[in-house]
Order: sequence, then structure tokens, then C-alpha cells
Amino acid sequence: MTRLVVLDNEAAQALADPTHRKHRQVVSHVQVVASRKRRAAAIQVAVPTAVRVEAGWDRTSPAWAFPNHLRISDIPLDTAYANTAAAIHSQTGVPVADAHLGAVIQSAPAHQITVVTSDPGDMRLVAGDKDITIATI
Amino acid sequence: MRGCTTALWYSLGMAASAAIERISELLDGGGLETSNTSMRIPTALRDAAALAVTELGVAPSATALTTAALRAALEAVVMQAVLDDHYQHHPRARPDLGDLAIAAAELDGHPLAAEPGRLRQAAAEIARNHPDASPDDVLLWAEARALPAA
Repeated sequence: MTRLVVLDNEAAQALADPTHRKHRQVVSHVQVVASRKRRAAAIQVAVPTAVRVEAGWDRTSPAWAFPNHLRISDIPLDTAYANTAAAIHSQTGVPVADAHLGAVIQSAPAHQITVVTSDPGDMRLVAGDKDITIATI
Repeated sequence: MRGCTTALWYSLGMAASAAIERISELLDGGGLETSNTSMRIPTALRDAAALAVTELGVAPSATALTTAALRAALEAVVMQAVLDDHYQHHPRARPDLGDLAIAAAELDGHPLAAEPGRLRQAAAEIARNHPDASPDDVLLWAEARALPAA
């Protein structure tokens, strides 16, 4: 079972900007993932595409060259995620990016998702009854 | 779509940077096209993989198991090369053992994630005698120190 490490908006921005005060903290998370992959652990870093939009993460922009190369995959807002995200958005009023993140959380296997976030409260809100691990930055 | 690569590869040589770039593109390709290979692997390893698939269900097939392991190894190579290059250009971005132990604990939801001071102390202690210690070694040491003496 693959552990999925998902970045929120500020985690993505901090990763891209070496002057961001949380840059080293988010790099630490990515470094741990890289080390675990080297030991054949099933672990993957991903970012929901709506989070990418909110963070301004354009994969064609030079400003995002560093995160682009860290094997961080996109989780597209496809039909199924959009339906779940729409429900989360209307129930909680969170921004679209957080609703997409919530849809990703709710569709992931139990105990297999970690969210790197500056807003643990909102992440617990969008997770519903899903048991998630939160790495607060 | 290719991601932008500008402003990377401050320290890697051109050949190495081109190789990392190409490996990354190939990993992104992920098409259904497959190839037979003449790669030889130890018989015992092949048999162990077959047993893990048939008896433990770790993967749909030995080929899938091998492919997943190879992909993970290559992704680790790419990630580490990119991170090392970044650390060379931005030395303050390089995490120390304490940072990594805290990050490992946070990713796992380990109870010691709530005690970063204890993890930093454990990292400092273990690094004195074991400079190559891993973040997981630090977690184990911190856990052991937290146990009451028998």
C-alpha cells in the first residue's frame, strides 16, 4: 500500500521559494520521502491540481523548476473528485483547492495519507471521518 | 507537457544533468508500451519474487513487483540528485538530522512529532557516535530514551 503525501497551498509555495521561512521544513519532508524511496518504501508526494492553481504553480514557469523535478505528481480534478469536492465545498464553505484536497483525502485508503499543511483545522474539516496524518508547517 | 527546467542544475555536470532530465521524462512517459529485455537477475531473487507474488500477494505479478521497485529506485535517484543540487546552491535549505527526524515523525504520525525538542536532542546525541544515522534511527533512540528504566 502506497503512502500518499499531499501538499497544501502553503507547502507548495514554501517548497518553491528558498527564502520562504518554511522552505527547509517542507524540503525535510521531501528529503525523507526520497530516502524512503531509496529503501524501496511505497511512498509518493502529490499535489491536487486545484491546489496548484491556488499556489500559482505553473509547471512551465522557471520559478517552479525545483519542485517540478521532485517527482511530485498531479492529482487532477476529474469527474469523481469534482463531485466529492463540490459536496465538501457546499457543506463546509472551504475554498475550492481545500475541497479538492478533501476529495483526495476521502478517496484514499485509510491510514495511508499524510497532508503537509499550514491549516490542520481545515484539513480535518475536509477529511470528514477519514483518519489522516497531518504534518503541520 | 514538460515542466520548466530553467534555473536548475547549478552544480551537476552537463552530462549528468541531461541524464537526470531524460530519466525524469522517461518516468513521466508511463505508456503501455513494453519491451522484452535480456536482463539477467539472480535465480534466487527471481524465485523469491515469484513466491512473494503467489503466496503473499504483494503485487499482481513478479514483473509488476520488479517494475515498481525499479521505478521507486529511479525516482529516488532523480529526487536526490535534484535535492543535492539545491543544497549546493542553497546551503541553508539543507535539513540537519534533527529536521529530518521531525519530518519523518510528522509523516508517520509518530507521537514524538509533538516533541521536536526531544527529537533534536536525540539527533544530536546519536550523531556524535553515528554520523551516518538515519532519521528513523533517531526516532528509535528517542523512543528508547523515553522508556522508563527497568
